Amino acid sequence: MDLLEYQAKSLFRQMAIPILPSQRIDNPADLKGLKIPYPVVLKSQVRAGGRGRAGGIKFVENTIDAVAAAQTIFNLPIEDEYPQVLLAEAKYDADQELYLAVLLDPVARRPVLLGSRQGGMDVEGSIEQMQQVAVDQEFSPFYARRLTLKMGLQGDLIQSVSTIVEKMYRLFVEKDLDLVEINPLGISPTGEVMALDGKVTANDDALGRHPDLAALSGKRQSSGLARERRSTHASGDRPHSHSKAQQSPEFDPKSKSPISNSESLQLIELDGNIAILCNGVGLTMATLDAVTHQGGKPANFVNIGSLDRYDAANALRDRAELGLELVAQDKSVKVILVNILGSASKTEEIIAAVAGYLERKARANRHIQVVLRLVEIDADAVKKRLGQLPVQLASTLDEAAAASVSSAK
Amino acid sequence: MNLTPESKVLVQGITESPASTRAALMMKAYGTNVVAGVSPGRGGLEVEGIPIFDLVEQAVAAVGHVDTAVILVDAYSVLDAALEAIAGGIRQIAIVTGGVPPLDMVHLVRKAEATETLVIGPNSPGIIVPDKLLLGTHPKEFYTPGPVGVISRSSTLTYEVALELTEAGLGQSMAVCIGCDAIVGSSFMQWLQILDEDDSTEAIVLVGEVGGWSEQAAASYIASAIDKPVVAYLAGRYAPKGPSLGHAGILISSRAAAQKAFGVTAPNKMAAFEEADIPVAARPSEIPKLLKKLLKKN
Repeated sequence: MDLLEYQAKSLFRQMAIPILPSQRIDNPADLKGLKIPYPVVLKSQVRAGGRGRAGGIKFVENTIDAVAAAQTIFNLPIEDEYPQVLLAEAKYDADQELYLAVLLDPVARRPVLLGSRQGGMDVEGSIEQMQQVAVDQEFSPFYARRLTLKMGLQGDLIQSVSTIVEKMYRLFVEKDLDLVEINPLGISPTGEVMALDGKVTANDDALGRHPDLAALSGKRQSSGLARERRSTHASGDRPHSHSKAQQSPEFDPKSKSPISNSESLQLIELDGNIAILCNGVGLTMATLDAVTHQGGKPANFVNIGSLDRYDAANALRDRAELGLELVAQDKSVKVILVNILGSASKTEEIIAAVAGYLERKARANRHIQVVLRLVEIDADAVKKRLGQLPVQLASTLDEAAAASVSSAK
Repeated sequence: MNLTPESKVLVQGITESPASTRAALMMKAYGTNVVAGVSPGRGGLEVEGIPIFDLVEQAVAAVGHVDTAVILVDAYSVLDAALEAIAGGIRQIAIVTGGVPPLDMVHLVRKAEATETLVIGPNSPGIIVPDKLLLGTHPKEFYTPGPVGVISRSSTLTYEVALELTEAGLGQSMAVCIGCDAIVGSSFMQWLQILDEDDSTEAIVLVGEVGGWSEQAAASYIASAIDKPVVAYLAGRYAPKGPSLGHAGILISSRAAAQKAFGVTAPNKMAAFEEADIPVAARPSEIPKLLKKLLKKN
């Protein structure tokens, strides 16, 4: 979960990382009661990067200019996201701008400290300047000093910048974060340091033990059970992550199956006419590849996740049926490819879900073709169970992809 | 590494949920030597002949040295359960639970390195040695014994690849899913080395993803250190860009700065395999063909 800049900065304040005086602006009229002296910088609070280039950051000298600028920024979407809030912040004259970050290196399985003397908007253009230090044992401030020296800092800056890195690291660990970034860290002509912008990404899996962070997402808090925590992950708010991604409705909480409402499904939309329903990220990707390889165009996909989590049989069935409903919402969908790999007992539930779904659709006079890929089944028994329903059975991924592509034509 | 049917296995969280109990019984039914379960508060009871203890150390005192712990506790208790297993002298751990906070894994990995403990997972169906041993939740239907070792990042994709191999008449010496979470306990490199040394393995399939970094590191490792033939398969060539797919590794890799800092960009991943002279299958059904070619050469 990405935090907004003002939320990140409130965490910085808790860690005594220096930030400028600022004020949250919920609508342009709030600027009349501004407590920060002009000149002031107004910043769009969206999660996308490159706000400055997109016109989401404006310097203003007085209230009239500020109100006009705020109106413009509130009406400016950045990567499809309109800001709900602006941040008004004192202007700062930096002599130098650095880049600092703490994140995890998934290969080394260690946190790394990143730093560059080329901070600010150009950081991605001067990536060769980026220095890194792996924190391979228990953290101690020398790791931060090692980074500042690699960055080529000298004199008093070694200590003042490494103190900031140390505080960033402590925040990272204390709050189970995926990323803490300060870009830029402004250095004044007198050598004072100031976090001018910040990015904090909370780890979705850890939100259950950080109610303060979970509250920022505006979603219901979890009870601490693994399954329920996954719901914050599955319904995670990354509206910026894929422009056409959309969230499903939650399961009916009154459903009889106790686990069926624990995890929402995520529908990812594309522009073809073959819907894909799979279990597991890797298999979903392989299925998308297979369909595309055979000349088909996926319309969307849903990953229904692990089958093992659904202890009650009807919970899995409900979930699969909901997945089918979700992918078929799009009227351009001609075929649904259901590719589920699991043990035989789970497969039975998937067959029941497909049959139940199609029977309902038939009653509603909506006809949609399903290609069902199942492994090691009694095909005759399944065919009998499916009767006249529009289902083609396939036993391999390639067969299923080919059948879907030819039916979609 | 002890992956024989005789090796002793303990299941932590055996009564945590019906699914975890079922997983333990499935392992036992497969022939795995499940000697004990641990579930605090349930000590003294048993599940279909498997004695339950409150603590790992009590289980070890009662049944003797344990080779592997399979962890089925909830995500926030995984680190503690794994540390308890290590304290109990257990040096192989398979974590089935998913969604473990990454910093817990960082802690566990440090401890595992210091104690030479092999950690599989989290978010993994574990290891299967067909017809011999199941440590985790792989559905047995897809596997047959044979010469091919499979290492994967994705659970269902492991089943898919095993199935293609089985149908092509190539069984598996061992299949391991190292886990789907962003930070997992063991690396592709560790498993490549294990399979390279394993006598029953003649060829290796590496199943990765287009996102993330691990595959790139694995490609150069294979070129420098692995003697057996390796075929790679990377899912997600045509998948949409962005972190919408679900594996957390992809999420992190979307940050341009970090990506560059670690020296990896997505397009050169395929090139890394080419450079290392490792054939990359375009889809699972191509894997057996490529393997058969390589096996003939040897």
